[in-house]
Amino acid sequence: MSAVITQWVLPILVGAATGILSGFGVGGGTLLLVYLTTFAGVDQHLAQGINLLYFLPAALTALPAHWKNGYIRRDALLPAILAGLLLSGAAAWLATGLDTGLLRRCFGGFLVILGLYELFGPAPGKKEGN
Amino acid sequence: MKREPLKFSISGALAGVANGLFGGGGGSILVPLLTRLCRLDQRTAFATSVAVILPLCVLSAAIYLFRGKLELMAALPYLIGGLIGGILAGKLFKGVRIAWLRRLFALLLLYGGVRCLL
Repeated sequence: MSAVITQWVLPILVGAATGILSGFGVGGGTLLLVYLTTFAGVDQHLAQGINLLYFLPAALTALPAHWKNGYIRRDALLPAILAGLLLSGAAAWLATGLDTGLLRRCFGGFLVILGLYELFGPAPGKKEGN
Repeated sequence: MKREPLKFSISGALAGVANGLFGGGGGSILVPLLTRLCRLDQRTAFATSVAVILPLCVLSAAIYLFRGKLELMAALPYLIGGLIGGILAGKLFKGVRIAWLRRLFALLLLYGGVRCLL
């Protein structure tokens, strides 16, 4: 019974909670990574792979509403996606060849920089009712 | 006006590096770039980042899988959760207050980052 909870119930609940944030674009994926690597004890590479896959259903179900509500800047998509694919492909290839410990340290540094920036960085962009 | 595609490309490229290297965090880089460099309003930047990151995840996930770093069964429960969360996100997005979400998010990042570094 407890195996069902740790292997299914908890992952589904955590995935749903971070999935809401992912669908908002607020960094749910980063949070899921933190959960997987620091709480669930999942290996860094596997955690990153899980996170990549998990984003697909979260994004696919959130996007139709965003599109319909007019929140997607359409002319950004093509240039950003093309450049992004090029770099993400190369980076994924590099990451899957890196030592787990090294990757984990780099990831930790990345999180600290992101967190400090979110807390103390300049307030983002134009003011908008949120 | 002509420089906009270049700015979008730079933003997408940097998000791509994080996406491939760390398997996530692309949106956390992309949103500030979209608001500051590309001058989108916040809500548009958040939603647009989701649309940009999606294809990057497909490619990166395929590479992780191909290179033997990903087990589909281990990912399955998180996929189910993500599906539920995504549906809720689409419905709730209009009304959510993003400012306090970001603060909570930042604290969790710092916690995770320090845990990974120690």
